[in-house]
Amino acid sequence: MNEIFKYRAPTSRAELLALLADHGDGARVLAGGTDLLVDIRSGLVEPEMVINLKKVEDLPGLAWSESEGLLIGPATTVNEVMFDAKVRNWYPLLADCALTLASHQLRNRATVVGNIAHASPGADMAPGLLCLGAHVVIASQGNQREMPLKDFFTGVKRTALRSDEIIEAIVVPPGRAGARGSYRKLKRIEGHDLSLVGVALTKNDGALRVSIGSVAPTPLLVEGLHEDDSADSVVAAVREVIKPIDDLRCSKEYREYMVEVYVRRLLEEVA
Amino acid sequence: MWMTVEVNGHIYEREVAEHWTLLRFLREDLELTGTKDGCSAGECGACTVMLNGEAVNACMVLAVEADGATVATIEAEAVDGELSEIQAAFARNYAVQCGYCTGGMVMSVRELLRRNPKPTIDEIKEGIEGNLCRCTGYQQIIEAVLDVSGQLTTETKGELRYV
Repeated sequence: MNEIFKYRAPTSRAELLALLADHGDGARVLAGGTDLLVDIRSGLVEPEMVINLKKVEDLPGLAWSESEGLLIGPATTVNEVMFDAKVRNWYPLLADCALTLASHQLRNRATVVGNIAHASPGADMAPGLLCLGAHVVIASQGNQREMPLKDFFTGVKRTALRSDEIIEAIVVPPGRAGARGSYRKLKRIEGHDLSLVGVALTKNDGALRVSIGSVAPTPLLVEGLHEDDSADSVVAAVREVIKPIDDLRCSKEYREYMVEVYVRRLLEEVA
Repeated sequence: MWMTVEVNGHIYEREVAEHWTLLRFLREDLELTGTKDGCSAGECGACTVMLNGEAVNACMVLAVEADGATVATIEAEAVDGELSEIQAAFARNYAVQCGYCTGGMVMSVRELLRRNPKPTIDEIKEGIEGNLCRCTGYQQIIEAVLDVSGQLTTETKGELRYV
């Protein structure tokens, strides 16, 4: 990497948010770095400053409580979530999604919040978090706001996050704990690969939710379905919202076809 | 930026450019060239090292992020010329062809066995899925892992399929 940038490693939340308030437009936040460093190397982004948030001591980590649900902090890695006993017990779907994301050594660095903030249409953590009704807590200097994750994505690698803001946490509500669900990801090879399509499906208190990645500019969530809906009607509802494209990984038609296959399989698998 | 990092038991205090990766620092500054630069994009795993005890792609970490950290590279495997158990199992099972992926493979296997001392074949495949061997000698590598974890029998040797 020959690109030059300033590097900062603030140790407090206040210091981090002040740096972003001053340098937001030219700065990039570094968490796991597994997307950012690739983007810098390829010239896709040219930050003047890279701000490492992993040294900040007063940001949330990974926590679970029966009243608040699951809290995922900005430096929480994908592997931390995947190996966490509480996650596996209450939100096993998230561990499913995590296992499909990249490789073991990348998951040791890559963060869940980074996967969401990067907002790739194929982000593997998104379908699970969308089905589980996650919302994001966004912080900037002197301000904090929250929004449902489904409103956070605005386009391919575009989000509602302003340049002076960070995602301080992703919160998965306690009401969705214990939801039955599964994630199926179609790849070109058995090993680590980006998804051709990724489909998550949950059943919880009579409600059926389907979330699909890599079939539209943003990960999609289909709500308003019920556990006893026929497979045909669920497929019809999904078909209505997906807008896949041809790309170097596969054709639009193959994506459309495989989404239907996966939805039907998941409907049977998630009993 | 000045940084302090412990690599293979030695403490280094160095000035390092902010944009250097840990991989470049290890290879070009410390001259530890056992860690290979394959893809520089987190795809191939040839640069796998242990950072604070966890396997990471050294190309996906800025050197300055390792300030205050402990790093172990493939050079720390053999002690006084004696191969580590994992390295010896690789040699015994012909798990090395061109050798370019081997350093990273050994580090990933160390990470796998740390979490899971008796991995199944599927778990081994998953553990090394971030390491590409372009000689495609995966079968021997898997046999080496079975061997070092005490699971290689005459039945499993040479009988692995669909690797």
